[in-house]
Amino acid sequence: MTIRVLDPRLDPEGEPLALAPAVTSLDGATIGLLDNTKIGTAGFYNHLETLLRRHGVREFVRRRKPDLSRPVPRDVLDELAAVDGIISGIGD
Amino acid sequence: MTGDGMPETENEVRTTPLASASYDVDDFFAANELYQENGWTDGLPIVPPTEALVRACLDRARLHADDLVGVEPVRRRRITAEKVAIAAVMAGCRGEYMPVVLAVVRAMCAPEFGLHGTTASTGGSAPFIVVNGPIRRAIGMNATHNALANASRANATIGRTSRLVILNVLGGVPGRLDRSTLGHPGKFTFCVAEDEEESPWTPLAVERGVPAGESAVTVLAGGAPHQLMNEWTRDPRQVLETYAATMRANLLTYSIWPGNYAIVIGRQHRDVLIAAGWSKHDVREYVHERARVTRGDWRGVGKAAVVGGKGDDVHAALRSPDDLLVVAAGGPAGGFGAVVPPWYGTKSLAVTMRVETGGADR
Repeated sequence: MTIRVLDPRLDPEGEPLALAPAVTSLDGATIGLLDNTKIGTAGFYNHLETLLRRHGVREFVRRRKPDLSRPVPRDVLDELAAVDGIISGIGD
Repeated sequence: MTGDGMPETENEVRTTPLASASYDVDDFFAANELYQENGWTDGLPIVPPTEALVRACLDRARLHADDLVGVEPVRRRRITAEKVAIAAVMAGCRGEYMPVVLAVVRAMCAPEFGLHGTTASTGGSAPFIVVNGPIRRAIGMNATHNALANASRANATIGRTSRLVILNVLGGVPGRLDRSTLGHPGKFTFCVAEDEEESPWTPLAVERGVPAGESAVTVLAGGAPHQLMNEWTRDPRQVLETYAATMRANLLTYSIWPGNYAIVIGRQHRDVLIAAGWSKHDVREYVHERARVTRGDWRGVGKAAVVGGKGDDVHAALRSPDDLLVVAAGGPAGGFGAVVPPWYGTKSLAVTMRVETGGADR
């Protein structure tokens, strides 16, 4: 006897997300650093700033999510929208 | 509507086609193997979700397959009744449990529950489900012996359904979206009924605003339960001091952040408290005052590095007495209780949701 069973998974809805085009040059670039509030993030970004300045980055826009497990608020996204590229912290 | 677009008559039942992909397998054993191999179960065997069983579940809850039960707000997953019914069948639920299952899913989708964070976190919490009201007895839930563990099909399978929803519907796969370092056994199932028959106290759901006589679930993203014992006093303060001490231990060894703690008070402790005239309100007031530590206490538990210059700062487990969920449950003998600590302070708050029974016949 064959039985037919149902797939328990829910397919994601909506348009697939895509990364923005990669930054082609760091010379004079402004880079956004989005902090996910995890304990090591700020120190990591401080170090990253030093490294990226050596590669020509001119300015950084540092923003911190109000909550590590909820979406970034619209106004924070708007503040970051003008930069050339963003580094976003995920997880620990 | 019928297929030709004519309005359905009053007696006609709309049968929504099921959206899920389906697979043909030889038998129930082969079905279980398919779900195990694909990681679609928690490792325990499942009841194969056939269309007939899933439809029976939906019919019992008077839902259409495409009805929306809730939306996980962060990743915007729209959870349909069909997927919840599939999880419920797999977990071993009877159709009559569906109103409770649906209330649990709705509660978990409330923004303040933070389902995404509780699922993804290394902290590894589980939805701790407390059921109140007449549906507990109607579906045979257990509130006495072995209250937090195996004793009733309804407790076991309702709790398990929440896990299978998180696993399959939200993609909470360990090592992928679920990043828990350890997790705890409650992630298999963690569901208790309050013992309203053997307690004169106000049921938890009523305290949280649900009219008396109605059924409801309260869901808390909880860590593993810490069992405690005190059989050597008839003093209500002494009894509660053991609960407060357990919470202080959690503040020190796990997380300093205040939030919703649940305490499950067994019958022997309840007898002491009730004989002394203590209500749940009195319990909350006392525990709120006593469950607090100083930051300097961290020095004694290996966390001296984070005391800084704030050793005298006081940290309470509860922001206010109302943060404490007091649950009456457990067997008649033994001076036991349990503390269920919050996953991560107020990043997730307990949510109470009414069970929509929709009529006396269900």
